[in-house]
Amino acid sequence: MTQAVTPVLLHPGFGAGVPVEARARAAELRDEWDAADQNVDAQSFWKETGKRFLANKVGVAAAGVVLLLVVGAVFAPLITSADPLVGQPTDRLQNIGSPGHVLGTDEQGRDVWARVLYGGRLSLLAGFVPTVGAALIGTIIGVTSGMLRGVVGTILMRFMDVLYAFPAILLAIAVGSSLGPGLTNTIIAVTIVFIPPVARVAESATRRVVVQEFIEAAHLSGASGFRVARSQILPNVLNDIIVYSSGLVGVAMIIAASLSFLSLGSPPPVPEWGYMLNSLRGSLYTTPLVTLVPGFFIFLTSVAFNMASDALREAMDSRL
Amino acid sequence: MPEAITSVQAEQPGENGNSLPKRPLLELIDISKEFDVRDNGRRATLSAVNEVSLKVRTGRTLGIVGESGCGKSTLARVIVGLHAASSGEMLFENRQIETTGRRPRKIVEQMQMVFQDPSSALNPRATVGESIGFPLRVQGASKKEIDARVKQVITDVGLPASYVGNYPHQLSGGQRQRVNIARALALQPKLVVLDEAVSALDKSIQAQVLNLLADLQRDYQLTYVFISHDLNVVEYISDEVAVMYLGQVVEEGSAKALYENPRHPYTQLLLSSIPTLDPAQSNRDEPIGAGDSEIPSPISPPSGCRFRTRCPFVMDICSEVLPPRVEAAPEHIVACHLYSEGAERNDGAVAAAAS
Repeated sequence: MTQAVTPVLLHPGFGAGVPVEARARAAELRDEWDAADQNVDAQSFWKETGKRFLANKVGVAAAGVVLLLVVGAVFAPLITSADPLVGQPTDRLQNIGSPGHVLGTDEQGRDVWARVLYGGRLSLLAGFVPTVGAALIGTIIGVTSGMLRGVVGTILMRFMDVLYAFPAILLAIAVGSSLGPGLTNTIIAVTIVFIPPVARVAESATRRVVVQEFIEAAHLSGASGFRVARSQILPNVLNDIIVYSSGLVGVAMIIAASLSFLSLGSPPPVPEWGYMLNSLRGSLYTTPLVTLVPGFFIFLTSVAFNMASDALREAMDSRL
Repeated sequence: MPEAITSVQAEQPGENGNSLPKRPLLELIDISKEFDVRDNGRRATLSAVNEVSLKVRTGRTLGIVGESGCGKSTLARVIVGLHAASSGEMLFENRQIETTGRRPRKIVEQMQMVFQDPSSALNPRATVGESIGFPLRVQGASKKEIDARVKQVITDVGLPASYVGNYPHQLSGGQRQRVNIARALALQPKLVVLDEAVSALDKSIQAQVLNLLADLQRDYQLTYVFISHDLNVVEYISDEVAVMYLGQVVEEGSAKALYENPRHPYTQLLLSSIPTLDPAQSNRDEPIGAGDSEIPSPISPPSGCRFRTRCPFVMDICSEVLPPRVEAAPEHIVACHLYSEGAERNDGAVAAAAS
């Protein structure tokens, strides 16, 4: 350390009875500590977060499940040779484990395993895209109103509160049904549903950050408001937003699935988990286990995302 | 070294304390700052700083002391332009500068501030180098210039240059405060406002940082406005001291004169409350003369002299007339009715001595 050591005045006879070996050992220890002190290695925040995340077994497992689902959806044609759109009417309503159809077939004789894999594409898309979109727009709105406060901030946030007052699924149905069915409209609807909560998280995080002295210091250097927001505030609120948004992916998938269950989602025959759940509902009494498959995947993805998000929060939260 | 060194500023502070540079670097004239607040649901005005006039001499340190909530920090922020003043004027290097609106960059970079809390004064997501270099980046310096300058100031504040890649949480409180100081110096300011810059530090670290500040003042030819509630620290570092009470300056003078011969009853009370060197400063933040009375609210301050509600020498006139600033001794100004009677006489004596 280059800081001057404050002299400590001790009586000359202090420690006279301490044996020489103990003194030598103490000196050794002190040198070790000093050496360790010198080696504060500069680790970036993300590196540390990654380390802590990897130490969390549940989080890693959940992230692994998410990864598997994504890989399965992306490489669906390589995993199964069955066509998800065209079925064999002769093979209708096969049960789980029947030859050629691991997860059985649906009421049109289409392979459920193939449909689940291909359907994961739309479902995961419907989970990710609205979350990312809402995170972007919500952050802009939240940071703006958190920084400006005053009239603009109040108007923005009260408008968000009005949207927030509706139950999420109801708002999604309202927006979705006014836009009409289709994947794009589902994504738009879910995005609109998610903007207010993200904006609120961003706003409260911003309010917490703007009162800190380093923001004043940044203003003092003559930086514009936008620059302060981008370079000083955003890095400090991003944490909260990422953690919150990652938990929304699972919810987004459920809402998208619900919309498609209500035939407001992507039109058939394109496979989508929510729509599959709806169409298999009719065969609940003949092949009950097959009926549960799409629901199981919705559940699995949602839980995996939430657990991974919890682990992420824990990894990021440990106060630096 | 900054090219800001002129012949006037080359004078060593402290060595010959009597010969003052001709013109102050910064002059505050009747600066007031009011905040609109809600007091029990009603709209009210909080008078945080009231008609403060001060002079900050080039290369010197002006200490500002007062209790918590007396408007010290607000005054600091008005000086550097973080708060717009409600009224009043400011002269910087003999030129009038904006007190109510946005200042030109040339002025902004001349005045920097060191903040109180080492943990919140640095961006936790930025490395030390990024924090120090940020003002330079804003001013449009090239990457090479920034790197060189950051390395320079970080060594000047006594930290190894290898610390540029570290994050604030990896540093101790004292080290963070050094980084905080380095950031203020990055733009080569002339005036540095230190708002409780050492208050959050341990006593031993405080001493180190105070010595560092004294060294930097000499090497960089800096002018300090040092704000603190710690009377010992202010006495140690200041050439001149102003005492604030409820937003007003009640007494100002050279540190020596003020500490040895306090005139204003408030200063006298304040100085009598200095605790011993016992590190357990348990009574530090307690109101002075606890049990006497509460500090009045700045929302509806007492009429006349604001200190009259707690003053042991209170007179009838105190509630009616705002005490004028009188020169009780050369360069020693007091705002108290106890001294206003002999003001004319003293003024004459001062004028005679000065000519």
